[in-house]
Amino acid sequence: MKHLVPEFERLKARFPAGFESSLVLPCLRRIQEDRGFVADSDIAGLAAYLGVPRIQIEEALSFYTQFRRKPIGRWHVQACRNVSCSMRGAERLIDHLRRRLGVAPGETTPDGRFTLSTVECLGSCGTAPVVMVNDAYHEGMTAEKIDALLAGLE
Amino acid sequence: MPEIFIDGRAVQAEKDQTVLQAALANGIFIPYFCWHPQLSVAGNCRICVVEVEAKGGSWLDISCNMPVSEGMRVRTDSEEVRAQRKAILQFITLNHPVDCGICDKAGECTLQDYHYAYNGAPSISHDPKVRATKFFDLSRRILLDNERCILCSRCVRFTREISKSHALGIEDRGDHSLVRPAEDGCFDDDPYSDNVIDLCPVGALLAKSFLYKARVWYLRPTPSVCPGCERGCAVNLWHRRPEWQLNALDPRQNTAIARVTPRENPAVNGPWICNKGRDLAAIFERARAEQAMLKGAPVGLAEAIAAARRLIEAARHPVALVSNWGSNEELAAFKRSLAGRFSAAFVKIDRQPDPGERLEDDFLIKRDKNPNTAGARALFDDAPAALPAATDLVLVWGEGGDFARLPAGAKTILLGSYLAPENGHADVFIPVSIQTERRGSYTNFAGVVSTFEPCFAKKPAVADAEALFAQLGAEERVPA
Amino acid sequence: MAGTKLLMTFPVTATSHTLADYRARGGYATLARVLREMKPEDVTKEVTASGLQGRGGAAFPVGRKWQVVHLDDGQPHYLCANADEGEPGTFKDRWILENAPHLLLESMLIASYALQVRNAFVYIRGEFDLPYRRLAAAVEEAYGAGYFGERILGSDFSCDVVVYRGAGSYVCGEASALITSIEGKRGYPRNRPPRLTVRGLYQKPTVINNVESLANITGIIANGAEAFRKVGTAKAPGTRLLSVSGHVERPGVYEVESGYPFRDFLREELGGVLGGRALKAVIPGGISAKVLTAAEIEPLALDQSVFEAAGSTLGSGGMIVIAEGTCMVRLLQVMLRFYHHESCGQCTPCREGMGWMHRVIDRIVAGQGRPEDVATLYHVSRWNDGTTICGMGDAAGYATTAILDKFRDEFDYWIANGRSKHRGVLEVGNA
Repeated sequence: MKHLVPEFERLKARFPAGFESSLVLPCLRRIQEDRGFVADSDIAGLAAYLGVPRIQIEEALSFYTQFRRKPIGRWHVQACRNVSCSMRGAERLIDHLRRRLGVAPGETTPDGRFTLSTVECLGSCGTAPVVMVNDAYHEGMTAEKIDALLAGLE
Repeated sequence: MPEIFIDGRAVQAEKDQTVLQAALANGIFIPYFCWHPQLSVAGNCRICVVEVEAKGGSWLDISCNMPVSEGMRVRTDSEEVRAQRKAILQFITLNHPVDCGICDKAGECTLQDYHYAYNGAPSISHDPKVRATKFFDLSRRILLDNERCILCSRCVRFTREISKSHALGIEDRGDHSLVRPAEDGCFDDDPYSDNVIDLCPVGALLAKSFLYKARVWYLRPTPSVCPGCERGCAVNLWHRRPEWQLNALDPRQNTAIARVTPRENPAVNGPWICNKGRDLAAIFERARAEQAMLKGAPVGLAEAIAAARRLIEAARHPVALVSNWGSNEELAAFKRSLAGRFSAAFVKIDRQPDPGERLEDDFLIKRDKNPNTAGARALFDDAPAALPAATDLVLVWGEGGDFARLPAGAKTILLGSYLAPENGHADVFIPVSIQTERRGSYTNFAGVVSTFEPCFAKKPAVADAEALFAQLGAEERVPA
Repeated sequence: MAGTKLLMTFPVTATSHTLADYRARGGYATLARVLREMKPEDVTKEVTASGLQGRGGAAFPVGRKWQVVHLDDGQPHYLCANADEGEPGTFKDRWILENAPHLLLESMLIASYALQVRNAFVYIRGEFDLPYRRLAAAVEEAYGAGYFGERILGSDFSCDVVVYRGAGSYVCGEASALITSIEGKRGYPRNRPPRLTVRGLYQKPTVINNVESLANITGIIANGAEAFRKVGTAKAPGTRLLSVSGHVERPGVYEVESGYPFRDFLREELGGVLGGRALKAVIPGGISAKVLTAAEIEPLALDQSVFEAAGSTLGSGGMIVIAEGTCMVRLLQVMLRFYHHESCGQCTPCREGMGWMHRVIDRIVAGQGRPEDVATLYHVSRWNDGTTICGMGDAAGYATTAILDKFRDEFDYWIANGRSKHRGVLEVGNA
């Protein structure tokens, strides 16, 4: 975490004084971006850096679905299964992904390439069904498009 | 002072009060789980709902977060309120195991009480309950049953607002939310942690030291004062009710302290005590000295008293070291009956801090680990660094006497309660009762006098110090 | 044509979101005029006079919210743009964030001036990637051009903005949960009172407005409240961004003038129901809005007050069109799974109720339904109505009871026969 402190300092400068507690979420996001997950040592380091209670960080990590405390596959495939996506084929698409990757949602392929997740609404309902791979949205997905997409991901 | 109307009754409320506070202050009960007078308003349990009647119609809302306003009218028991309370209780018990039969909290459980008072109906759910962790080690001292937890957050708020350890939080979300300690284990280091056990309105937080020990209705709370430091927190010592004495099982339980809980005293400790106060059994239930002795040889109590009188009579420069664990009444008895027979009487500091014990903080814990130093000092002087060389008799009352440093050749009379090597070395040893066997009072550091009541009878072979001092100081001369 | 446009007034190109293009469209001129010519209270007056209603779901008048803030109370005030946009079916703010980020920023500066805000925030949902990058880039451009920072455009007014990213929580779209989240904590909503405009972010007066609500501010100040009121209807002035999804030919974001007939909107703009199927129902304003049957919605004009009179709402503008043949039991199952997943767990009725309903409907769908299940769903919904800290419990209850009221036969059928009346799928396209 230490090498990110200069970045955190720049971030802090944008906030009013006394907003250290507010930096918990942005710092955790940045740490996860950097490491792929938030490690126990990051929690202790961030608590000390921001001067916030450790429990606040642990609570936030468990409350927000995007945070994770364990490493996952190189490619995080998140398929939306909420109303609009399901109405446009998400349920079939998720079945296809399960078969194609050979894992259930929440699991990682044995080669560590893919982690499959289902999520609830990514705000892309007009181009449903949507699959998010790492940070990128892939909209209007079909089984064929998914296969082509996955094939291109090492 | 706004006047409000609760169930049609005019009530004078304080300006910054909530409806719940105004109602409780005026003897009108509104049920609540998450609210607590010493904690911030969480407003999450939703059971304290009341109906507000206004011109445009009435509405329901929680009373713990409802400020009073002049002329407002609320109903605490309307049909709507009763229906909503019942629905809330059905939600609360939906995933609660309702295992009162094996729950330590049964008999003093808010949920149990409210269920009988406000619901009483069986669950309408046919679906399996959400399973959660049972027997989770919240700390070395406390067990957590997450299935019984109703997520009122009282324990969490306690660690943030009162003990300031920030040791607890709620992890995950929805009906999978779990109270959890911070992973660095800092809850183990919170010397006030056990207050969350009393705060818990259900059987989710349990003292390991009390786990499955007794149904609470077999126990009686005796008002007492914690002797752990000069704060003198008001406590209740819980012990087996005399009418429920055990004969066949372990009869030692009849004279054991099952648990210690705070007894609210705003002038001293509010509703809290520290963990040391929870562990008074560790102090009181040490092996007791119950045998009078002359130089280690067992004798009857009367014989020992007579021997002590002879020693006092014969001494030319007798000095007394009085106990700062003595009650005000015992200290006064000593002063009244016996002090005139001694050249000097000094206050002895009976106990020093245990290794690793928190010395003091800005909450409850004080540096002096004795209950009545202030009471003793009001009557006696502090001891000098060394007793006068001419001292030929020392009466040591209580623990902590440094026998190695007594003037050479001085005789000793020791009044003690617990087994200790020095008991057998004293010229006269007289066993005396302890706090749980007598009535008395202590004066705390701030001058507040608190009284304690006896839990158990003392054994006949043990002296009561107050009576003993009168006997030792009586005018009647012993034949030479 | 769906009438006058106030927001989608320019062709979207590869550069239309940039500062250069925005300025070419007259961008930041209104801010300059406001700082030069207007007093803060005049801005609020104009916004109040416009009758602008919040576009996040509750349709609360924006001006009335602003008026609660006392400019001379000696405290810092905060402004938060709510870009959490998590209501399923809603993706209209995303259009603004991606295509008109400077319109949002200029509006926020004007609002900050009106409310005397030194520090403004945009709370953007954590999953949004492109919208975040576009907005963050726009913020840097705006700082570079002197629109944020100290003494903006030579005036006495200084303002900073932070784009704050969420991390995956629907509840954080609720204003008080959003604030708790900006404080770096788990996103628990707060009890009212106090209102957030009295004690919000770090206990200071805080105004939270939806992105689309704010985006309208620049236009209202530029052209005057009078001009804004001429668009739309008397009760619901202006336009609405509607994000349409589900079984339609042309889903997407549309700006419609208030009062535009739904029937025309469906036929002309959306290209009708997918594959020419018959319309079964519409969820008009995000899944928390009560479903309307085809017969109920077909005669309606797209006007918040009209939808309220019909027992529903345009809410967050997330319109989900449902074709004949869709299984409403499965639809409710997906919705309840969502509410269960997103319940923050703070207050009793929602924490326990959402999971309860989810388990009941899962059991029905598994063919293990019991005759009293529908009554249980009604019971849980009833006791989430007005009993919770935030509006989520109510919303889940309204959504549930509306579907039960209007499509009861599908539930009874599944419970009685152990299977769906309509193939048990939500997808109709490939049937």
